[in-house]
Amino acid sequence: MGFNRIKLASVLIGFLFLTTIANAANQNPAPARQVVESFQNELIAVMKIGKSTDFSGRYNRLYDAVTQSHDLPKIARIVVGKEWEKLSESQQNQLVEVFSKLSVASYAHNFKDYAGESFDFDSEEETTRGGVVIHTRLKIPDEKDVKFDYMLKEQGDSWRIINIIANGVSDLALKRSEYTAVLQREGFDALITKINEKIDNYSKL
Amino acid sequence: MNTLRNIMRPYKRQYVLSLMLTSLFVLNSGCATTKVGGQPALSKADPYEHINRKTFVFNDTVDDYVAEPIASAYKAITPQFVQTGVFNFYNNLKNVNVIINDALQAKFKQSAQDTGRFVINSSLGLLGLVDVAKDVGLEQNEEDFDQTLAVWGIPRGPYLVIPLLGPTTVRGIPGAVFDTAANPSSYVGAPVQLLSLLNARANAEGALKFIDEAALDPYVFTRESFLQWRHSLATDGKSAASTDFLDELDELGEFDAENVGLIADQASKGGFGNYIQKFERAAQSFSGAAQSFDETAKTFEDAGNKADKLQGDVRVK
Repeated sequence: MGFNRIKLASVLIGFLFLTTIANAANQNPAPARQVVESFQNELIAVMKIGKSTDFSGRYNRLYDAVTQSHDLPKIARIVVGKEWEKLSESQQNQLVEVFSKLSVASYAHNFKDYAGESFDFDSEEETTRGGVVIHTRLKIPDEKDVKFDYMLKEQGDSWRIINIIANGVSDLALKRSEYTAVLQREGFDALITKINEKIDNYSKL
Repeated sequence: MNTLRNIMRPYKRQYVLSLMLTSLFVLNSGCATTKVGGQPALSKADPYEHINRKTFVFNDTVDDYVAEPIASAYKAITPQFVQTGVFNFYNNLKNVNVIINDALQAKFKQSAQDTGRFVINSSLGLLGLVDVAKDVGLEQNEEDFDQTLAVWGIPRGPYLVIPLLGPTTVRGIPGAVFDTAANPSSYVGAPVQLLSLLNARANAEGALKFIDEAALDPYVFTRESFLQWRHSLATDGKSAASTDFLDELDELGEFDAENVGLIADQASKGGFGNYIQKFERAAQSFSGAAQSFDETAKTFEDAGNKADKLQGDVRVK
């Protein structure tokens, strides 16, 4: 008798669960916001296990999360500006490859401690030329919130992050200045060497 | 996460010595202008890059051999609660300047909040050693005279790196002079100012480490993040330009040579239009003043209530 009740209860719970999921799916949250939020959830999850997972563990776990939410090939192209055209195809591929590694590595290095942080969604804004900006804030206990604005562009049938603006500082603009400066002052090989050094440092720290 | 927490702290070094060094700098800049042209400037915001880079390397060396070791020693021998207390103490004194600049920018409500903050921390917070105001919801605001000048429509001018003091802009110099004059800690003895500098350096540790780890070109990284961060402060984070530039890039062609300076020069690009915008913003602030006064009264009431409650709590304990 007791067993039957439990069975009945679990069927009911299962049914409730399914309908909740169906409802959530019906509400259909904006895809761009979904991309950002699932990425942020993954970041927080990795921060929580940061103490018990080494760099390569965090790197592997974040690899899909970063590459599937960011449009890394496009970001890599934008950060070298007009220099992109001057690169051979194999150089372009090489740049995209090391740039992607660096992006994942910097996340794996910088997001490894957890002290109660969480991301809050603020608002969503459409830009004049078909982009979307998702305004969020990182809440840190006992500290001022850090504003994180994600700029997304449609790529195929999904939205991808192109730029992140933290407290008014644009990551893309910063990288673009740096990468073009290194390319113009020291050339392509020096740029690749420097990026690889950074990846190497992140993996050791 | 500490790294992330500290990203925004790199430029908070106190400009205590600036009065003295400004005169030195003015002499220097005279020479600098004549030397320009040796190397083509990559950024329109930074025509003196050639000499700025040299100063940057000099500052970096001084930091490595002098400031960093002393700051590390200070961190090692000073308990965390003392460090926090010292940080809070100087931060609280800085509020005198914040309040003045709130008013100069016609942010009367914020000025009232910051006055409340200063009063609460100077009394209940034991002369500012404890940041009580944060617990009653009065967050520290970042205002200074450079931002006031920006709101008034004064153009930023070229980026400069000053020996020992680090990044600033031409507009930042009168800004720093004013800020120094309006900070009470400037009028006490040299040991106090040294402690203030030491404390500022110790607090910048995380940010400097972050730059070291992340930057391919630390000079450019520092310049761009400094200029963007200052611009964002001056516009109170409301600059639409910084979120929208990508579309421009996309449409105008990312590879257009004319566009190289596009991003770095966002802040200064608008020219005359920008002025009008700024004046409009100032006018709006003034017309909002009456409303602000109402809100001000309420803020004081709220703060008063909270302070009463806090005092009650303290007594109960």
